[in-house]
Amino acid sequence: MTMTIQTAAPVRAKRKLKLARKRATFDTTLGRAFLQIAAVAIFFALWEAGVHAGYVSAFLMGSPSGIFATFYKLILSGELLADSWITLFEAILGFVIGTIFGSLFGLALWYSVFVAKLVEPFIVAINSVPKIALAPIVVLWFGTGLISKVALAVSLTALVALIAAYQAAKDADVDLQSLMISMGADKHQVFWKAVVPSTLPAIIATFRINIGFGLVGAVVGEFISSQRGLGHMIFLASSLYDLNSVWVGLFTLMILGFVLYYVIDIIERTSLPWKQATTSHQIQV
Amino acid sequence: MPPKQVQLSVANVSKSFAGKNGDVNVLDDLSFSINESDFVSIIGPSGCGKTTIFNIIAGLLEPDSGTITYRGQEIDSLRGRVGYMMQKDLLFPWRTVLGNVLLGLETRGVDAREAEAKAHEYLKQFGLAGFENAYPKTLSGGMRQRVALIRTLIMDPDIPLLDEPFSALDYQTRLYLEGVLKDAVQTYKKTVILVTHDIDEAVALSKRVVVLSGRPARVKVVHEIDIDATSPVTARNDANFATYFKTLCAELDIQTEKTA
Ligand SMILES: Nc1ncnc2c1ncn2[C@@H]1O[C@H](COP(=O)(O)OP(=O)(O)OP(=O)(O)O)[C@@H](O)[C@H]1O
Ligand SMILES: [Mg+2]
Repeated sequence: MTMTIQTAAPVRAKRKLKLARKRATFDTTLGRAFLQIAAVAIFFALWEAGVHAGYVSAFLMGSPSGIFATFYKLILSGELLADSWITLFEAILGFVIGTIFGSLFGLALWYSVFVAKLVEPFIVAINSVPKIALAPIVVLWFGTGLISKVALAVSLTALVALIAAYQAAKDADVDLQSLMISMGADKHQVFWKAVVPSTLPAIIATFRINIGFGLVGAVVGEFISSQRGLGHMIFLASSLYDLNSVWVGLFTLMILGFVLYYVIDIIERTSLPWKQATTSHQIQV
Repeated sequence: MPPKQVQLSVANVSKSFAGKNGDVNVLDDLSFSINESDFVSIIGPSGCGKTTIFNIIAGLLEPDSGTITYRGQEIDSLRGRVGYMMQKDLLFPWRTVLGNVLLGLETRGVDAREAEAKAHEYLKQFGLAGFENAYPKTLSGGMRQRVALIRTLIMDPDIPLLDEPFSALDYQTRLYLEGVLKDAVQTYKKTVILVTHDIDEAVALSKRVVVLSGRPARVKVVHEIDIDATSPVTARNDANFATYFKTLCAELDIQTEKTA
């Protein structure tokens, strides 16, 4: 009796240790990447197997092999790259213009409480309209070219940036501003040295959301009327029941969004070095 | 001794804040004056209005009534001429140690190279050389306080207003920084107003101690502290130290004797 207890405990402890060590080998950048890629590969393998076994309709769902063949074909013909560039360009342009104008306007509202209170209900009202609903008018006004897509992306991103910047400026630490005032700083100095820097984290945090909205604006604009871009390609392919092409378009959009997200991440980390000092070691709970 | 010249006087200042249950009278007809090269400590119960007095002198709050006179001239406030070290250290998190120290000189438009040279000199004197490029988040509490103190003194303010500058520190660091402050004040010949909860600190550092009553704040009594010591540590060993300490405790209604 005592024998079994004595041996069981160390064995269990050893197994626990082994498990922990196994987790440790995967808990590295490379290890995690391996697991992530494996998950994607298994997903596609199951899908392909399902199509071959007849459980999944290749007509309604497409098939991984078909998707890869289409992908290869569209890459070779250069169509995919051309469409991607167009969409990417529209999205980034819309994002940049929308974010800059939105943030500047939101920050500027800090200057006058009177003006801010005056325009606040209008901002709320405009913001409550689902901006996608503007798409038909935007096309009517700006035509079927680049400008209408950029305009749609701007309409989606600008208000997000405006509201975030305005809110952050309102929330900027009053004591820091008081300190500057006691030093004899004027309103501009308080704005540039105390308010603007303290809003930057909030403004940069909107980049993540807004880069996604930039893509939404571009793609929706292309859905409605366009001869080019990934949105146009997806729209056209789905009307022809060419599911493989639809998936190629979607996955390409996913890749674009993915890459943009990490670009934003790098911007965030390099532009706020003082934030890094705090977030670098997260507490392990 | 030459007759003492009054540098700053606050006369009949009242201030009340709108609260949930009517107005809260914080300062009521408060008057006191500060001499040239004075070192005045203000002590009083928590919440009696010490920070409010500083906010009024610094021009962050307007008094409901009363006047402030500076070197014979009636003024609205000393905004831009005081160095206000607030109760929190309030370093700008996005600025490095050097950037924080330079804040006041930047606002004043001092030549950047000149300002930086001055900043390095101060940082060295306060034992912070080598930390110029560190962000506040990475500093210890004592270092942060030192940065805030440098930021206050480097502007060469007419009067530094120090609101419990050392209250968050351990005794050792506090003794050290009190010494640093006393040295700096002597070197730069400053008039200082210090708010503190620490009677010990008030006696060790100041020439005069103003004791305030509870809210609404009024001057209860002003004590001249006659201790001629070179450092806050030796001041604590002065023969008169204990007497001052006891008197001030009694004035703040702190019980020093146990009553069964
Ligand atoms: N902006 C404000 N609005 C309303 N009430 C205020 C405001 N500022 C201060 N008070 C009130 O005035 C009183 C005095 O505040 P003050 O900060 O001057 O106290 P204090 O003497 O500095 O206290 P402590 O020693 O705890 O720092 C407090 O009761 C506080 O609640
Ligand atoms: Mg206070």
